[in-house]
Amino acid sequence: MLHATELSKSYKSGNALHNFSIELKPGVISGLLGRNGAGKTTLFKILCGLITPDYGTVAVASKRAKPIGAVIEQPGLYGYLNAYENLRLFAQIQKAPADVNSVKNYLESVGLPVDRKDPVRNFSMGMKQRLGIAIALLNDPDILILDEPFSGLDPTGVASLIKLIKKLATQNIAILLSSHLMTELQKCCDYLYVIDNGTLVNKGETRMLLDGLISRYTITATNIETSRTLQPYLVAAEKNTASIKCSSEHIPGILQNVLEEGFAVTSCLPDITLEQLVIPLAP
Amino acid sequence: MMIPLLKAELFKLFRESKTWYAIGAVLLIEGIILTAAYYQGATILELLLDNLRQSFYFEGNLLNGNLLLYIILNSLWFNLPLILMIVSSALITEEYKNGTLKTLMLQAVSKGQLITAKYITSFIFTALILALLMLTTFILAYSIFGSGDLVVYLGTLNFFPADEAFKRICFAFASGLLSMLFFTTVSLTLGILLKEPAKTWIASAFFLILCSLLLKADFGLPTVERFFFPKLTNAWQHFFDYELDINSILIDNLLLAGYTVFFAVVGIYLFTKRDIG
Repeated sequence: MLHATELSKSYKSGNALHNFSIELKPGVISGLLGRNGAGKTTLFKILCGLITPDYGTVAVASKRAKPIGAVIEQPGLYGYLNAYENLRLFAQIQKAPADVNSVKNYLESVGLPVDRKDPVRNFSMGMKQRLGIAIALLNDPDILILDEPFSGLDPTGVASLIKLIKKLATQNIAILLSSHLMTELQKCCDYLYVIDNGTLVNKGETRMLLDGLISRYTITATNIETSRTLQPYLVAAEKNTASIKCSSEHIPGILQNVLEEGFAVTSCLPDITLEQLVIPLAP
Repeated sequence: MMIPLLKAELFKLFRESKTWYAIGAVLLIEGIILTAAYYQGATILELLLDNLRQSFYFEGNLLNGNLLLYIILNSLWFNLPLILMIVSSALITEEYKNGTLKTLMLQAVSKGQLITAKYITSFIFTALILALLMLTTFILAYSIFGSGDLVVYLGTLNFFPADEAFKRICFAFASGLLSMLFFTTVSLTLGILLKEPAKTWIASAFFLILCSLLLKADFGLPTVERFFFPKLTNAWQHFFDYELDINSILIDNLLLAGYTVFFAVVGIYLFTKRDIG
């Protein structure tokens, strides 16, 4: 659906993007992981046509009036208008349906209340993100690009946005989202690209990519630090939290044994850092 | 596609509080001038015409609606274009500042059409404000001060009978509209170049002051004196020359309209060629 090949862009301050290639497919959620300033936003702006690359091409196979919908950096909204007026305005300028029912449907599709009449400057970041996504989805684009959609959201907001993104992917939309936070991308992305200093340093299916790299897990349960099962793997322990070192194929068995010991495990999170992913791709 | 864009631009413009502050400022200045004229106008006029009264007999009331319309018309020198330039440049600079330009450009909208809609919106707003200024001044000045002959000092004192004066004031407002459109177009183009509201306001005010200074400057070159744009921005003032040179005023206005189109085309070209964000 979208093929971007060998994109490069440099500014006076240096290279923002170097030979970056990316592919987006219908119904697949792709994630772009990278530190702040790694080149994620520059890539997104190029993909959306906001800036021109020095080299490289972007090919989009779509016949729609708006092939790509996107929220780049913060959602740009008219703060003095309410959500309904914002949506209607953006719908009208591109001749998308802008009648009362259509606008209400847009609002409902992203889980926003249809009866809020106050200006969007009063909205929480999560609500602004949702409105930004609703605007991006006007005119039914084939591709949705979201730049740092989780920044500034509380855990409930993150969970709810992940649910929405997954729902959109089921409608056969190709989705690309960026973050410097791995946990969020890990939860919703089928495929991951890792960018560092404007260069693609790693890519692959999320599970394959992470499973190969995860060697530590943090398990939470009451008095878990006393578990006999965990002792051979224990790296660090605090009250109700144990950090263990093992490969991903061992973790189901270990958890099973811990549960049989009678510990009520409340979470088991893989410990992986961005630095682990920032390793050069094999030639 | 242009009509929905125009509607959206006008909707945004009139929903922004700064637009209403600008309209309020224009009307407040008008109110202050009329109030000052009501209480002190006669005294000032007496002072100005004191010497002449020793040689001439003045019939009728010279502090009248036409004189007030002419005084308000002089807002076209500085305060009105400044206010209009601030509002017009904000049409683009506020979009840059709030990130809404990115959102707009991520929709199925062309850059050329969007910026053209902004220039047209600026034209419409300028025309509306000037019409409002003329209409409110006409109603208030005529109802408070009545009609009468107009006395104007342009190097020499020119007197116009009431009917003739009103016609000239109407033409001057129409010509003044072209001058205002020139300044608002320049401010929008400056907004495209500078992107930031504060920088654009300073640059717009500087441009306005520079034009006023250059208008008075003598370059000694007939071509520059005739065709350089600062020399054309006062065409409306020539409607109060005693001997009316319609051809000269018409040429000035056409040239100024040409400069306006030129600055708009430059702005549209820059906007379509530059990256967003």
